[in-house]
Amino acid sequence: MRRALDALVQLGVPALLVVAVGLVATTVSASNKVYFENALVSVAVVVAIYVFVGNSGVLSFGQISFVAVGAFAAGVMTVPLESKQGVLSTLFPLLRDHTIGNVPSLLLGAGLGGLFAFVVGLPLMRLNGLAAGIATFAVLEITHNVLQQWTKIGPGATTLSLVPETTGPLQGTVGALVVIAVAFAYQRSRLGRQLRASREDSAAAAGVGVHVHVQRLWAFTLSGALAGFAGALLVHQLGSITTEQVYLEVTFLTLAMLVIGGLTSLWGAVVGALAVSGLDSFLSQAEQGVHVLGLKLDLPSGTRLVFLAAIMAVVLILRPSGLTGGREARLPWPWRRG
Amino acid sequence: MRRATRWGILAAALAAVGAIAALAGTTGSHAAPAAKKTVIIGWAFDQAGQMAPFDNPALAAAKIRIKQINAKGKYRFVINTCDTQNNDAAKAKACALSLLGQGAKIIFTTCDVDYATPVVQETINRGKLAIAPCIGTDQMGPRRFGKKGKLAFSFGNVAQDEGSAMAEYAYSRGWKTAGLATNTRLVYFKNVVQAFDIRFRQLGGKIVDRESYATGQNNVQSAVTRLNSHKAAVYVTSTAFGELPAFVSGMRSLHNNTPILNSWAGDGTYWDTQNPKVTNYYCVTFASVFGDDPSAAVRKMIASLTAAGSPPGTGGFLGGADAIDGVYTAIKRAHGSLKGAVLAAQLEHFNHVAVLGSKVSFSKKWHTVFGRQYRVIKTQANKAKRVGLVTAKVLPKIH
Repeated sequence: MRRALDALVQLGVPALLVVAVGLVATTVSASNKVYFENALVSVAVVVAIYVFVGNSGVLSFGQISFVAVGAFAAGVMTVPLESKQGVLSTLFPLLRDHTIGNVPSLLLGAGLGGLFAFVVGLPLMRLNGLAAGIATFAVLEITHNVLQQWTKIGPGATTLSLVPETTGPLQGTVGALVVIAVAFAYQRSRLGRQLRASREDSAAAAGVGVHVHVQRLWAFTLSGALAGFAGALLVHQLGSITTEQVYLEVTFLTLAMLVIGGLTSLWGAVVGALAVSGLDSFLSQAEQGVHVLGLKLDLPSGTRLVFLAAIMAVVLILRPSGLTGGREARLPWPWRRG
Repeated sequence: MRRATRWGILAAALAAVGAIAALAGTTGSHAAPAAKKTVIIGWAFDQAGQMAPFDNPALAAAKIRIKQINAKGKYRFVINTCDTQNNDAAKAKACALSLLGQGAKIIFTTCDVDYATPVVQETINRGKLAIAPCIGTDQMGPRRFGKKGKLAFSFGNVAQDEGSAMAEYAYSRGWKTAGLATNTRLVYFKNVVQAFDIRFRQLGGKIVDRESYATGQNNVQSAVTRLNSHKAAVYVTSTAFGELPAFVSGMRSLHNNTPILNSWAGDGTYWDTQNPKVTNYYCVTFASVFGDDPSAAVRKMIASLTAAGSPPGTGGFLGGADAIDGVYTAIKRAHGSLKGAVLAAQLEHFNHVAVLGSKVSFSKKWHTVFGRQYRVIKTQANKAKRVGLVTAKVLPKIH
């Protein structure tokens, strides 16, 4: 009974927070809604990264590759047919002459992200430490360059435009909840527990029969699928995408969100994504000049990044394990005793 | 203590939601008063990022031009601005929606079609006119944005026109052989060189070499070395950013003093290297900012910009002023209508319409300006001056 209640809280509290963001999004102006939708998509991306990085303890710079694959796959396949043949005329005929709907495109993003992660994970998941980090960075570089140069599978260096904007507050919220639910189910499963054991002590886990390489590969594949799904949400939120938007900046920003929230918990991933997104959005508005509670705030251009970096540094100095301390959400103290 | 920490975490999480929620109560600082005959123009631009050197002068010129037009009386134009913050896609989209929410009927966007896409899409999806002051490709229109792209126009020069003008100028100078170097990073860069290639050969010129490089790929020096091994009367490229000084100084460092011809991307002297100095270098541009533009109105605009503390570094500022003139003409011809489709129909019929700097044309096919009279600028020992004028006679087919 206690364990069931703990589990309910661990899943329910992040889910409620996401639902709250989704609900607020429906009440604001069209321009501010963009920031809320962006925060919801960020939750999906950061939780996808958490599934591998948080559970395995292996740093990966390559998860945004799977976001990119999902985004471009979903985007290319949902551009309306009549526009695609003019705008994306260099695509393979299979891609150029067919189009799919919103939900199939999300599933396509997840499927391709997972498949790509599985293929690159086969050799990469044998690596540890710095070597693993650099190898995953190589995956990011290769993916970026292939997408940027190969115009038979996408727009190349130009912007993919005319993608239907289907990720509103509802799809953003449901998408983030799906990713959170899958991540939660995985970390509670036998596979997830084995991987977390290997995170704490790889040699000891191997000693009791955990096949570390296989467990990492499963997590990497699942993370890739969720990242691909998040990428599909992203492209349907923006309505357009370039290879630069799913490259270095978002790689480091999403990793920073995870670290700030708390690397080793689902709750940390959600809190980090929302906290950094919220701060980033607010500072962006402040650079335009805003009135908040009767006070005018008008920050000079560029202060957003300075503030954001400074606040990140302060948080990590004061709480090296992140805002959540790497713990899952729990009932407040009086209710936990019984 | 630990209990306090956990409550602190929850408070931080709620604060995160609150920070986003605080946006719900925010308002932009550029709200414009509503009045009869007031036309609100939304200007989504990159104030301090990569496109700032192009976007800021265009906006500054547009503001001055609007003051001049407003003084005449019939319409009162107001520009509301929004910084896209280095053209971040989500922020650019939010900018467009914010400006539309403030009542903007026409949205102006940044000077590169790839960066401009989020703003253009949000604008044309709502049936409003999207205008770029200086996008230089045929992508600003149906070619990139499908049927709704009928509402998208640019007052930059279409690359086919610019490349063609460069070819006609080169041939008129007696340069009968050319070596080409294409920066593949931007469609505009590529299209200018493609157009030069086709038009130059149409005129009877010969291309002796074709090389390529790309911004950010650190390969411009290799292209220069290969190009240097082919003797030509002129070397032609279209480039900006760090590759521009690298290309020019790279060629001169090899003691090759062959004329180099660039597009508007290479206007200005802000990038000039001191050793070796920029010599025998040519570019075509909207206007000469070196005090010798043939148009008195342009010289007056430059003086106004300088007096306002925004002296233009390149002729690109003119796109902002010309765009305001063009939109004003379209509104007058549409009898005051501000509907996107009505204004777009008027713009499509522009045929040598007089704007501040020159005369501009659009068509159903070409939603980016063609037919502008280019100023040819020559830089010798880091001193730039206008040495000619050229207008393209033919728009080469490059697709």
